[in-house]
Amino acid sequence: MAAIGAEVFFATIPELNARLTSKEIPAEDLARAFANRLEQLGPRFNCLALPLPQQAIRKAQDVDKEIKRGRLRGPLQGIPYGVKDLISYAGQPTTWGAKPFAGQVFDYSATVIEKLDAVGAVLTGKLAMVELAGGGGYRFASASLTGPGLNPWDRTRWSGGSSSGSAAAVAAGLVPFSLGSETSGSIVTPASYCGVTALRPTYGLVSRRGAMALSWTLDKLGPFAHTAEDCGLVLQVIAGKDGKDPGSAGKSFYYTPQYARPLKELKVGFAPVDFAERAEAPARAAFAAALGVLKDTGVQLVETKLPPFPYGPVLSAILAAEQASIFEQFITSGKVDELADQGQIAGLKASLELPAKDYLKAQRVRRLIQDAFSRLFAEVDVLVAPGRSGAATKLDQRLDVGGPPAPAGAAPGFQGIIPAGNLAGLPALVLPCGFAENLPVALQIVGVPFAENTLLAIGREFQARTDWHKRRPPGM
Amino acid sequence: MKLTRRKLATAVLIPAATALAQTAQTPPALPRNPDEEMKAARDRVKAMGDALAQQAVPMATEPAFQFKA
Repeated sequence: MAAIGAEVFFATIPELNARLTSKEIPAEDLARAFANRLEQLGPRFNCLALPLPQQAIRKAQDVDKEIKRGRLRGPLQGIPYGVKDLISYAGQPTTWGAKPFAGQVFDYSATVIEKLDAVGAVLTGKLAMVELAGGGGYRFASASLTGPGLNPWDRTRWSGGSSSGSAAAVAAGLVPFSLGSETSGSIVTPASYCGVTALRPTYGLVSRRGAMALSWTLDKLGPFAHTAEDCGLVLQVIAGKDGKDPGSAGKSFYYTPQYARPLKELKVGFAPVDFAERAEAPARAAFAAALGVLKDTGVQLVETKLPPFPYGPVLSAILAAEQASIFEQFITSGKVDELADQGQIAGLKASLELPAKDYLKAQRVRRLIQDAFSRLFAEVDVLVAPGRSGAATKLDQRLDVGGPPAPAGAAPGFQGIIPAGNLAGLPALVLPCGFAENLPVALQIVGVPFAENTLLAIGREFQARTDWHKRRPPGM
Repeated sequence: MKLTRRKLATAVLIPAATALAQTAQTPPALPRNPDEEMKAARDRVKAMGDALAQQAVPMATEPAFQFKA
């Protein structure tokens, strides 16, 4: 077996690809090393749902034969990865992070897994998550079949949710990349808390066939990785038309940041209050410095405001109505009572009582939101805000109440940007941008639909000027 | 408004320095039993509806989902 140093576990996809194609490291050795590491260290962070070492080794052996024959399939060939446990993998349990579904097995794999398999990527395990992606509204980090997601930077802190394991596994160097999902915040939050790069794609760009449905009109699948470039390389593979996903936009994605508009032509909208009064005090210096770096890339920072809408209630109404329909039988059968979080149980039950008029009103307001964002994006090219206003919450902190309130009279800033971006189907890139009390904090950059290359070009330049994305958790 | 680096520092850092001290938020008490839990969840659903009711929507605005025949 080839000697695999610790640096390999935090290498980027192009770095790993170079070692594989040069035959410096056989894919089988890489798969064994990552699979062992995931199996050994995953439980330390409650981020492992299901190890798949045998399947990974078999796949990697096939990859080695292909590389030996000179049959190269692109940068993901032989690269280990993990998926959130709401993405089905044929013949293996897909628990949706919830005890009542612990024995659930599908006989087909999700489209994203089929696409990654076709380019030779190596699935080493399934990753933990908040039960049912938290749609009912959970109160504590412990709302998961595998226990609370522990943050690799500090295990007394939460890794974020609902894609808890997807973010923690990348942060701890247990997989080079992973897939997670977002309905509202489930990629942005854990990526911010764990200090990894992640991309929430435009709604419809990535097929959700084979992934748990929480909200048909909001759900997205996207990558977590070490760099913006890695996210682009993964997105290129998993994006594309899928006739079996009614929400598919029918569009492909090619990672070509070199053809994105020059950064000096880009107007980046922001609200200063998000980086000051509305940011938690320990994080403000990091956010301010990150804005300075962003400005140094050549973009024009422009003060702007989000259109005023009740984003939270609009999103919550749509989510509640759609999940009520999806999980109706589960809720009315009483199986819902087997979930771990009492807030989640009651929230799912109450969602059955949401009036149809409220759902329709929310979807109509959503149309207005979409139109308002179209107008906003005529003035700016992207928006930037903190990924979250501060660092990861403590494990026992209640999640059904907000963080510290902003001072009276503070402007609203972009506080609603997570529900707003999800309602409008906008892509978002999360970039680690510093630390607050030894915990990572991040920026989110939000763009117009299908502007992923613009976001990734900004991210690539930001990461060329900083090393936050290269930092490793203590002991890793 | 286009920002220079100096204006940026002024916009971000000075309000932060002069911000009022943030006060700790007292979370609402935890529900003590399933009935209280359900009441709290129903109250949240009602609050959503109340918030939506205050949002004016032109009559011609159609919902943001598509049916393709």
